[in-house]
Formats: sequence, structure tokens, C-alpha cells
Amino acid sequence: MRPGADEIRIGLGSCGIASGAEPVRDFLQQAAERAGTPGVVKTVGCNGMCHREPLVQVVEPDGRITLYGNVTLKTAQHIARRHIRRDWLSKWTRQDEGPVAEPASAAYLAKQNRIVLENCGEIDPLSIDDYLARDGYRALERCREQMTPDQVIAAITESGLRGRGGAGFPTGRKWALGRAQADPVKYVVCNGDEGDPGAFMDRAVLESDPHRVLEGLAIAAYALGAAEGFLYIRAEYPLAVRHVRAAIQQARARGYFDSLRLEVREGAGAFVCGEETALIQSLEGKRGMPRLRPPYPVECGFRGKPTIINNVETLACVPWIIRHGAQAFARFGTPTSRGTKVFALAGKINRGGLVEIPMGVTIREVVEEIGGGIKNGRQFKAVQLGGPSGGCIPARLADTPIDYDALAETGAIMGSGGLVVLDDRDCIVDIARFFLKFTQAESCGKCTFCRIGTKRMLEILDRLCAGTGRRDDIEKLETLADYVSRASLCGLGQTAPNPVTTTLRYFREEYEAHLHERHCPAGRCPALIRYRVTDNCIGCTLCAQACPVGAIAYRPHEKHEVDQRLCTRCDMCRQACQDDAIEVT
Amino acid sequence: MTARIWTWIAGGAVVASVAILLADYAVSTWQAPRDDKLVKNLQQQVKSDAAVATNLDTEQKRITNARRARKSRDNTVSWVLIGAASLFLTSAKRIVGQVSGPVAHQPVRAAPALAPAPALASASRCSAPTVDLSFIDELVAKEGRTKESAIAFLQAIQKHYRYLPDEAISRLSELTEITPAQLAGTSSFYVQFRRSPAGKHTVRVCHGTACHVAGARQVADELRRYLAIPEGADTARMFTMDEVACLGCCSLAPVLMLDGRTAGRLTPSSASAVLAGLLEREKV
Repeated sequence: MRPGADEIRIGLGSCGIASGAEPVRDFLQQAAERAGTPGVVKTVGCNGMCHREPLVQVVEPDGRITLYGNVTLKTAQHIARRHIRRDWLSKWTRQDEGPVAEPASAAYLAKQNRIVLENCGEIDPLSIDDYLARDGYRALERCREQMTPDQVIAAITESGLRGRGGAGFPTGRKWALGRAQADPVKYVVCNGDEGDPGAFMDRAVLESDPHRVLEGLAIAAYALGAAEGFLYIRAEYPLAVRHVRAAIQQARARGYFDSLRLEVREGAGAFVCGEETALIQSLEGKRGMPRLRPPYPVECGFRGKPTIINNVETLACVPWIIRHGAQAFARFGTPTSRGTKVFALAGKINRGGLVEIPMGVTIREVVEEIGGGIKNGRQFKAVQLGGPSGGCIPARLADTPIDYDALAETGAIMGSGGLVVLDDRDCIVDIARFFLKFTQAESCGKCTFCRIGTKRMLEILDRLCAGTGRRDDIEKLETLADYVSRASLCGLGQTAPNPVTTTLRYFREEYEAHLHERHCPAGRCPALIRYRVTDNCIGCTLCAQACPVGAIAYRPHEKHEVDQRLCTRCDMCRQACQDDAIEVT
Repeated sequence: MTARIWTWIAGGAVVASVAILLADYAVSTWQAPRDDKLVKNLQQQVKSDAAVATNLDTEQKRITNARRARKSRDNTVSWVLIGAASLFLTSAKRIVGQVSGPVAHQPVRAAPALAPAPALASASRCSAPTVDLSFIDELVAKEGRTKESAIAFLQAIQKHYRYLPDEAISRLSELTEITPAQLAGTSSFYVQFRRSPAGKHTVRVCHGTACHVAGARQVADELRRYLAIPEGADTARMFTMDEVACLGCCSLAPVLMLDGRTAGRLTPSSASAVLAGLLEREKV
């Protein structure tokens, strides 16, 4: 790279690729080669602003950063003119698609404190040199050279780091328990089986900064005295698996893992394998069914040996804590929940993506200030936190601070950090049914209450959504929820009713509307709604063309009509209509 | 194969019958006025010359007989035609069904352009016979024989054959210390594994939370219609459709993945076009 050249970073995480970053990268690379500076274009991971993908970030020699969002080939041409060829006229030429407006990206980033995502979107995940240039593996060296394992554990304990996988068990305590085990053979495992629908921070970290997780795992192995470690990663994340495998090889070639054998194991698509005892079964090649605890894996885990299992995000915090000190980490957050947490913002929100915020920030701040409010100016109804084990928090409780204990009081959990925002067009009963359907399908079948109880609950919710609910259905739902949560062995079963219980607590009137009035207030449940053409119709036939089942007759210049017998409530007509003439009742 | 032969036979019969009927029609239209004229002439002559009466009689008999014969022949041939035509249609339909299946929706036009079904048709024809098992032998030689690698084995087999063939599973249990019971248990537990052959392409539609609220159900329904995948099945021709829990691209919801390529921000109306676009890119 020539001195003084701009560095052009292109985000090629899964979501970048999905929104078409590959052609942009190819184009810019060709442009750079033609200009004789092939080094200026760098492929990086995801910087978290998924709503603006594909993203191109230009870092000028004086450190100024220009961010281009939703980059198309046309924008890429502009970027090439301005930053690669340094065409001096380009500063004055008209820009159709200029950089991301400063306030938008500033608002998105201002409230964040990046610890886990420190390097995401800034370094090339496939280059160990990039990571080393950012103080990579320094923490590991420091541990090995200057600290005893007990000191490492003390530092982690002091930082107040708690497990980021959902349960929030103090990491330092877990390590100390593992260290105390007499067995000389121990294992460390990184849990990257991020099964929560709606959470993707582990994927982003593994894809964009794999060395960081490896370093955290190596430090854990050092603290524990383990010689072997595993990374259990979902098979649905092929890019993450590839990057981690490459990173292991690079680090091994540099001699960082001389005393440690790391192996990547791909999951096979079972949500329950995120539970630690099930994960161990899966590592051993068996059906991933949880078993009774105690003994905890820390006493008797993989191959019957003491095993420490930590979430990706937890491990990603570890190098930062060692480098900056436990106090620096503990300064973020609230007294019981230290540090920062990454959330995956998604749903009906303007600026979705990954955000890393200190604990204690309120839900409202996340949704309105970082996320930029609700899409299409609709009304904020609720957030769903923690995936299928979590719950819905209504908009009126949006001032709840995000920390383990405050969230637990509302009935939801922090979970792995999926934060799905719902607006007034989302039916709460449908959401509860969606999650129950998920947990029902993912139940391993070991405990009767989880296997059959969730099935019965799902049947009740199906009935409610179909408008055929029975008088005592809501009470029955409550009783079953109680039974399931009390009589199940693992976290999956115990928390499976959470989406139902929290929504029943905060949105009971919606359940009652489904049951008594056979009416879906949000207009979502297919059996309870009807599509009608209003007098706004100008007879343009767009809806008739869009209808896949031919329920709208093709009659130009006449008010259209929906044939209710044929209509499948697919919503295509409403989306096609330009005049707001289709209403849902 | 018999369907093909029957089609040919029935088709031939149809053509022959039609030819006979047409010929008869032509003959009768050409012959009738002449015959009438002849008879009329003879009748004129009979008035003046009684000797011609026998002549007229034989002539009339001949014409009547010829007409009657033609009529009965046409009757038979018509029946043959109806039978042959129905046979032709049923057998031809079967052949067409083998080749491309019921085509429900016009956009499917886009798909057959991609070398449609012969490949699959031949696959279904030789579904029973041999699965090449040398892959298993190599795999075991490379990975070892321990129980612990059961999932890794199954993943490799699935990647190779695109499903888990029974022969491969039993071969694997012969070669390693993994019991058939463990293999059956493991392969049925994880949703990633499938025991029936899959299409050439896998379309995964994400049904995560974000995708669900963004309308993944409608997108999936539309893709089902587009790919003509019947209710209750997951495969039609070259495409297997899967519903997955989350692909981790929640801010682009709803999302689909075609053989490892992801596309987001779908709507029911754009989904089919996006899928066709991904296929195009894959071909390149």
C-alpha cells in the first residue's frame, strides 16, 4: 500500500454477502489494480450496521472515516473515482449516493461501547497480522508470561464478567471451580451454537474477528490447565466455520497454540445443543439430550472430564479484560451486571444490526436512539428479548434498564441477546405461537412435560389463532405453562413457556379478543381476518395481477372485489396496492 | 418404458383411423353425385326400355351395399379412434409427467431453462440400485473409527450424497465401532440429516423471529407455488425446500439461502425473481 493512500474496507460478513457486497468488492479490487494500488481494498467482517449493507468504509491517512451504505455498483464507481484514482474533480461532482449521513451513523454508534465488537468491520478476519496490529494475542502472551492461572481467574472474577449465553453465571466462578478439579485432563469448549432465532452476534464475532475468540479460549485453557479445546459452531454458519478454521491454522503456524489443540465441530441443527450438557452429548457424537445436573460439566463433562463451556461473546470479552484490566471492564454497566452486551437489533426497526451497549441502558434508548425508532412510522408495541426462552416486554415498560436482574423481574431474560422489535401490526398471540412451535419442534423429547405439555399448549394457541378457542383455554394455558416450567430438566423446557407467560401477563386482552370475539386486533391471524377493497380503489388491477390464487377478478376501471372463498390471506394484494385501497378487517 | 411404446401404438392408430375416415368422406362426397346421376339415367332409360331394369336393379344394389359397408366401417373406425385417442392421452401424460411434472404456475418457465428434469428422471429410475460406497471406506480411513465422530461422519456422508442412504449407513456401522442404533438415533435427532434423496438445489427459507414478523410464511408459500412443491412434500424436481430456524441475517429479514448463497429483504412478489437470480449466479 502506498503511504498516504486511503484504505477501503468492504464488509463481507454473511449479511454483506447476502445484500450483494461481492460484486462491489470485485469491482473495487479491479479498479485498485488498474490504478496500481492493489493493497488499498481490504475485505473485513461486519461492523454491525446491517441495515446499510453492503457497507464500504474509507479510512483516510489522517484517520477520517467516510462510511458508504447500501453500496451499489454505481456508488462503487464514485468511490473508485474519489478514493482510488483520487480524481480531484470528484469532490465537486454530483453524488447521487454519497456517504451515510453523519448524524445517522453517529446516532447509531454514539451510545455504543465496543469491547467485543472492537475489531469487527475494521480488520481482515483472515489475516492474523491485522489482529496482531491491534494488540492481538498480547493478552495471551501476558497471561502465559506474567500471570499465574489463579491471577487470571482473579482478574476475570474481579471484572464481574457473567456468561453471555443467557443464564449469566459468573465466568470467574466457573473457571475457579474448573481449576479446583483434581483431574489432570480437562477441556475447554466454546459454545457457538447460537440457535436463538433472532440472535446473530456470535456469528458476527466468529466471522469478523475469529482470532479474538480463539485467544479467549486459549486464555481459558491456560487458566484451567486444559490441553484441548473445542469450538462447537452451528452448521448454518458456514462462513464462520471457515474463518475459525483458517484462524486456528494461522495462529498455530505462529506458535500461539503450541500447548493447546483446538478443533472445530459443526453442529447439526438442534437448538437444544446450546444447553451445555446436551452440547457435550453432541460433541461425543450422540443425540443431543440434556442430562440432570449436578454433576455440572465443570466436574464431569466431555469424556467424563472437567469441562468448561463458555459462550463466544464471553470468551471475546476475556482478552480485552486482560489487556485493559478488570477495573476498566467493571466500570461499564450496573453493580450486578458489569461490562457491555451485544444485542442483535432486528424486527420492525429503522436501523437494525449489532449494537454493543453498556449494561443498564434502557430498552427505549436502544429502540429509539440507536435503532432510530419503528419502521414506517408505526407504533412501538413490544420487544421480544432472549428468543424462545425469553419474553415480550411491552412498550410501557420500555424504560426498564437492560441488566440481568431488571430483565428477570419483567419475566423476560437477557438470553443471548436477540432483541426483536414488534409494532402494532404484530399479533402477540401469533408471536407466542411462533416461539412455542419452535420450542415444541426442538424439544428433545426426554421430559414428558416438555414433550407433550408444549404440544398441548401449541394446540391451544393454534385454536386461538384459528378462532376456535374454547372457554377455558387461557386458564388451561396458564396451568400447562406452570407444569412445563416446573417439571422439565433443562433450560429449554423450563423456559419454553416464557413467551406465553409474559405475553399473557402483559397482553391478556389480545388473547381474550382471540378467544371471545374471534378477532385478531393486529390483523395478522389468517383465519380471523378478511381482505376488503375500499372505495379508494381506482380499478388499476395491480392487486388482481398480484393475487396468486386468482381471488380478485381482473376488471379494469371497476372497483375490485376479493373472493373470500379463494383468498388465502397472503397479503400480496395489500402490498401491491398503490392507493391504500385494501383493508384488513 | 412401456408407456412410450403404447403411446406410439395408440398414436399410430389415431392417425390411421383419421386417415380412413377422411378418405371415406372424400370418396363418398366424390362418389355420391355420380351414383345418383347414374341411377337417374338408368331410371330414365327403364321408362323407354324395360330390359335395362335388371341393370338398374344390380346398380342400385351395388350402390346401397357400398354405402352400407362404408357406414359400418366408419362406425368401427370411429370407435377405434376414440379408444386409441384416450390411450394415447393417458400414456403421453405419463411420459410428460416423468419429464417435467405438473406445471402449476407460469413463472416456472424460468426454472426449466436450467436443464430440467432428465437428470432427476434418470435418478428416480435408478434409485434402488447401487450407491457408490467407496467414499465411506475412504472417509473411515481418514477419520478413524471412534464413536465420537458419528456426527462428523454423518455430515460428510450427507454432504457427499446429499442425503443419508441406507447402504451408506449400514456400511459405516460395519466399518466403525458405531452401532446402527446410535447412527439411527443420531441421524433422526438432528434436523440437518435427511434420509430421503434431496433435489439438486436446496432452498432454505429462514423462519427466525425477525423473518417471521417480516412475513416469512408468505414468502415460503409463494416459493412453494413457484417451485410447484406440493403440500406436505419438500421436494419437487431439482428443488428441495427447507424451513430453518435462523440464518443469522435478521436485519435483512425475510431471508432465504440457496445452496449457501443468502439473499435478503424479500417480499412475496420478489422472492421468485430473487431465487432465479441466485440460480443464474450459481451457474456462472
